[in-house]
Amino acid sequence: MAADDKILGFIKKGTCAALSIALALGAGSYAQRYEYMLGGENISVVYAQDELDGHKYVASSSGYNLYVSEEDLSVIIEDKTTGARLESYPTYDDQKCNATWIGAMRSAVVMTLISANDDTKQADLVNDDVDKKITYTDTGFTATLYWNTYKLGVTLEVSLTDEGLTARIAEDSIKEDGDSYYIGTISMYQYMGTSYLDDKEGYMFIPDGNGALVYLDDKEGRFSSGYSALIYGEDVGFDESEVNTLLLDRYNTISDPQQILAPVFGIAHTDDQIAFLGIVEDGAQRADINVMPNGVSIDYNRSYARFILRKLYTQPTSNNSTSGSLHVYEADRSHSDLQVRFKFLSGEDANYSGMATSYRQYLLDNGLVTKQDVSYNTRIDFLGTERESWLIGTSAVVMTTTDDIRDIYEDLESSGVTTLMSVYKGWQAGGLYDLPITKYKADSKIGGTKDLTALIKESEEEGIKIYLYDDALLINPDEQNATFNVVKKVNKRRYEYETYKDVYDTFLYVTPSRAGDVLDDVLSEYTKNGVDNLAIAGITNTMYTYTYSGNKYTRFDTAESYKSTLDTIYDSAELVLETPIASYWSDTRAFLDMPLYSSSYILEDVEVPFLSIVLTGIMPVYAQYMNFEANKKEFFLKMVESGSFPSFYITKESSSELINTNSCDIYSSEYSSYKDTIVSYNTEFKALHDKTQDAVIVRHELLDNNITKVTYSNGVVIYINYGDTAQTVDGITIDTMSYEVAE
Amino acid sequence: MKKISEKRQNKSSFINILKRSIGIALIGISLIWNADVLTAHADAPYKTYTVDGYNSVTETQTAYLPYKTITKIGDESLVTPTDFTLLDDGTMYVLDSGNKRVVVGDADGNLVTTFGEGVLVGPKGIYVTDKHITYVADRDAKSIFVFDENGELIHTYTRPQVAMYGDALDFLPLKIVVNSSGTMYIVCESNTNGIVEISPVDNGTFLGYFGTNATSASVWTIVWRALLTDAQRAKMVGNIPATPDNMAIDEKGIIYTVTRGEGDDTLKRLNIAGVNMISDPGKSDTVPAAIAVGNHDNFFVVSQQGFIYEYNNEGQLLFMFGGKDDGQQRIGLSTKAEAIQIGSDDKIYVLDSDKAQIQVYEPTEFTDYLHEALYLFSKGRYEESKEPLSQVLMMNNLFDYANMAMGKALYKEGDYEGALKYAKLSRDNDLYSDSFWEIRNIWLKKNLSAVIVIILVLIVLNKIIKYLDKKKNILSKPKAFVQKIKNQKLVAQLRYIFFYMRHPIDGNYGIKRQNKVSVLASNILLALMIVFYIINKYFCGFMFKTVREGQFDVASDIIMILVGLFLIVGCNYLMCTINDGEGKFKAIYCSFIYSASPFLVFMPFIFALSHVVTYNEEFFVSFGSFCMVCWILVLIFIAIREINNYTVGETFKIIGLTVFTILIVCLLAFIIYVLWSQVFDFLQSLVGEVVYRIGG
Repeated sequence: MAADDKILGFIKKGTCAALSIALALGAGSYAQRYEYMLGGENISVVYAQDELDGHKYVASSSGYNLYVSEEDLSVIIEDKTTGARLESYPTYDDQKCNATWIGAMRSAVVMTLISANDDTKQADLVNDDVDKKITYTDTGFTATLYWNTYKLGVTLEVSLTDEGLTARIAEDSIKEDGDSYYIGTISMYQYMGTSYLDDKEGYMFIPDGNGALVYLDDKEGRFSSGYSALIYGEDVGFDESEVNTLLLDRYNTISDPQQILAPVFGIAHTDDQIAFLGIVEDGAQRADINVMPNGVSIDYNRSYARFILRKLYTQPTSNNSTSGSLHVYEADRSHSDLQVRFKFLSGEDANYSGMATSYRQYLLDNGLVTKQDVSYNTRIDFLGTERESWLIGTSAVVMTTTDDIRDIYEDLESSGVTTLMSVYKGWQAGGLYDLPITKYKADSKIGGTKDLTALIKESEEEGIKIYLYDDALLINPDEQNATFNVVKKVNKRRYEYETYKDVYDTFLYVTPSRAGDVLDDVLSEYTKNGVDNLAIAGITNTMYTYTYSGNKYTRFDTAESYKSTLDTIYDSAELVLETPIASYWSDTRAFLDMPLYSSSYILEDVEVPFLSIVLTGIMPVYAQYMNFEANKKEFFLKMVESGSFPSFYITKESSSELINTNSCDIYSSEYSSYKDTIVSYNTEFKALHDKTQDAVIVRHELLDNNITKVTYSNGVVIYINYGDTAQTVDGITIDTMSYEVAE
Repeated sequence: MKKISEKRQNKSSFINILKRSIGIALIGISLIWNADVLTAHADAPYKTYTVDGYNSVTETQTAYLPYKTITKIGDESLVTPTDFTLLDDGTMYVLDSGNKRVVVGDADGNLVTTFGEGVLVGPKGIYVTDKHITYVADRDAKSIFVFDENGELIHTYTRPQVAMYGDALDFLPLKIVVNSSGTMYIVCESNTNGIVEISPVDNGTFLGYFGTNATSASVWTIVWRALLTDAQRAKMVGNIPATPDNMAIDEKGIIYTVTRGEGDDTLKRLNIAGVNMISDPGKSDTVPAAIAVGNHDNFFVVSQQGFIYEYNNEGQLLFMFGGKDDGQQRIGLSTKAEAIQIGSDDKIYVLDSDKAQIQVYEPTEFTDYLHEALYLFSKGRYEESKEPLSQVLMMNNLFDYANMAMGKALYKEGDYEGALKYAKLSRDNDLYSDSFWEIRNIWLKKNLSAVIVIILVLIVLNKIIKYLDKKKNILSKPKAFVQKIKNQKLVAQLRYIFFYMRHPIDGNYGIKRQNKVSVLASNILLALMIVFYIINKYFCGFMFKTVREGQFDVASDIIMILVGLFLIVGCNYLMCTINDGEGKFKAIYCSFIYSASPFLVFMPFIFALSHVVTYNEEFFVSFGSFCMVCWILVLIFIAIREINNYTVGETFKIIGLTVFTILIVCLLAFIIYVLWSQVFDFLQSLVGEVVYRIGG
């Protein structure tokens, strides 16, 4: 959009005096910038002005100027180099929004309130009677806010550093003095980087699966709702009733959406070469990410994190499901500091790969991940034993014994495959679903404990690590005593995880403290036997609110408990985690089961391997099993693109043996069927990894004609062609459904 | 970057053109496997299901991925489109019902033309021939409009003016298909006679009704109707046959129809004579919206809720996927699906009238293999079909159709062991029986002489022992031991079943007057019967098994038998005591148990037979079972008569009364259960409340 159009836009809305000043200043600042830019290349700093669009100058960092409006605390960030700006409010008014929307758009802090079973009331800084006390600091300002009508108060602290802008509400500053209004949710700078319809070119980033983008084009009202999901996955402590139309009135065909593994979001304006990455630093355990393209209620694109302090839930009044129930809200809110960091990116970095690399740097700088040994391995997981029903009780279905594993390793070695790692599932006495694992005791059917220990040690000498798999979240009430130490929902009803399978139809969740105790005990048994390779699942990406013996525990408690358990194990064992959330990335030596796809929401325009860019080269990242992929070729290329290592789920016996077990969804796993694939994948990925070594991805680009270009920090460039015709890029020809490596 | 989706669209259509130029004849198969169709960018948000050998639903690999969504043709938006036709060259004719026009797009998604404005009133269905002649079924205009390739109206057909059409019937066309000779098949609203068949001769000659659905009345409906008064009967929903909801036609002129709520008759594949060629249909939806014919002797159905089903030409279910968008807003889900078409490159096109869009799905590698196998198999090229089948099975060991086809292919090759294995997996009893017959035959051929020798040796051995016994009395000790056991009281009581079975009248006298049996002996027999029953139920020969392999529910089996037995014995005893019966409870209980003794004698033989016979000799098993049941019934009848000293008439009466009592007891039990659960609920809440208040 040309500057003239923009001025017209300003004129459209200009009705009051304040705005005409803004117009004058706005036009002035453009002129100023051009002058300097034309003046010569060495003058590249845009000087801060006293006031900009009704906003007062507050502070500067090495790269940006910060302006704030004392009226609604909205801010403007100005790039000192280019003069590009990001505003926390829309600069163009389409005259279609009511006062509530305007309030939400302009206010630095927006809350939804809970009052008498209603959780939709909005409190903001524009429409409400708010006492404001603003004190300026070296890097920003602190505003103490009090809503007189609702008797609620918070203190917003904003500071601009070289790292970006942080907005924070400290836990002890949250005041709820009245007894008719309580805080439901709080968000800060909801409309940071907002734009109107297709005014800006660029996209919003969604942390769905590995990552996805929503372009800032005119959506023509196609979407009635945006993306909204709880960071780190849904909370099973609350009953989220959802209506699904079932296939044949029985089967739910809709697969669960991918969960958010990292607390990030972002917007890039590629035309202005300015972008931000939002990181929820405190309070992420109970916050959601919202990405709303234009057309969802209003015509502005916005993306923000929202902290949840309290929620309504359904409390049944009797055990009989047909009896009534009440809607009640949580008596106590969740307690935590709330902090969002906006990292600004400009120039070359103002895009999603810039967001990812800057997030990686942030994680490294803050010790949230540590660099691990990233040498190449093909991951071959084995299933030991499962159970099927028999006349009385269950009988074992033996799929892969320790001897079978020896044979398979030997066979692979004779085919030249030596770079391997394995996770052994279903090794424990009683089979895969005899959970939790309380002692180091292998099933006699796979060879017994001694033999397993021997296998692990032998393989270790050969350079193959075998990790023992432990789902520390579940307890199987059919095999173990589950009267105590199981999770109850906020409404004090036991949480039951339904499998819809024949042998074990229900599992329960072990409370975090019990899970920690059990893991501690079993860990000491492992180490006594000289076994310290452990793969933990379940607790690595599940977070919930629960009640136990009358007390309520929040997601913060769950996360903290799991974190300390995993910290302990990481210190004393070789620990790998299955699909861990960002909080536990510092506790794993490898990332198992990295999702390579998003959840395919209709609003997502394109998928990007955001998490892979962040983690590849930092730790070994293993993809999800390729067994169950219908499009093997495409999946292969996805692994190449994301720098993931391939994973296989292997059994010695044919998977048709599993038909009557809980693992009946493993419909393909027999070693003899997969041997050739393992050998060829191992060769290809090893060769590829020899090129990239422990370099990280510095740039990821989606070129035209379905070509993806991935650049590594050591200069290696990988081109992937997902298209159906050969393409030539940078003088390199890439065959259809294939890849090329350049240096 | 915004343009990516459009580019993809262009490219895919380029391939379409390329393919077509290579030749339609090839389209059937080979091209699709070799060409790398542009893959979708995302994982499917829906699961794909298939059925296993027991016809139960299981998950499988994604069969089709969402490929693209067509919301506009050129720049023309659609308003509640209700139907469309996709031609082999990729041209798409969309019936834009909201705008009362036909929108034509080419394979690249560009607008070719629109027509029908001002002519169409309330169009519902469209059919376009290979020569681009468009037929539109217009319900509100009560007409069929025919347009030429330039969109000019060339014909209008209205209600047939012949008596055979039906006097009171209106002509409200909803859907239409046309065969190669121009004969129109029209589904009309509220016309229950069937599909209206009109020939183009003489400006429309009514040929009759085609593929009429049959009405069906359950026994219950018949009883119910008999009990109602005329006035009540008139209020009942009329039992009139359902009209097909939609149809499709293949190049051979075979018509496929879907009819909602018809159970097994939902899907029909009708030949020229209107005879349904699907004999054993797989699972189908209750609200099918449309049907389309695929390129590999397969066909597809989409339900209103957006579930897509793929079948082979026998009506066996291959895949089910998709689903309704209940607010999830994920790709590939529909809100109100109305029509389905299959592209010549196997892509599925589904029209959603509510979203006003066409969703395109593309097959995955897995599905491509399956299609190849389907094609080869249906052409009888079993040997060649093994390669793609083994690919399918490598990717999914449990895929029912592939197991079945592989079993058949191996059988044709003479690999009976292999065929047996796959027949077992796919629960294909006929194939299992045939393979087993062959295997048994081979075994017999190989071992017959050995078996005969062994039998001869045994006979000779028997003779020798008997001879020695006569001479030297070597068997005296074992014989005495056996005799001693036989003489034990309990053993004698147990052995009494053999006497009882042959001499029921004397046998009952023995039970009633001579104390020949005891409750202990009866209990032992009962326990044995339960064991036999369970062994037979879970471990009998594959073909005779009624429960799913690997599923056990022993506890409820035992409870069922015991409850049933005590209901019968108890109620019979109650009825006998008030009807001057002489039987004591013990005598009645024992006589019932002993009457069931043929079960103990026959079952081992039936069990053993079930493992060695095939369907050819199935008669032996079923005849054995039949004899056993008859014998037991006769014994029970005699027992009731003898124990209570009844006449034949009185016995019948008592049997009737017993049945009635059982019904009453069941009803009572149900009422008590319902009341008690309420009381239980109340008590539980009360205790809970007290605990809460005190513990509070």
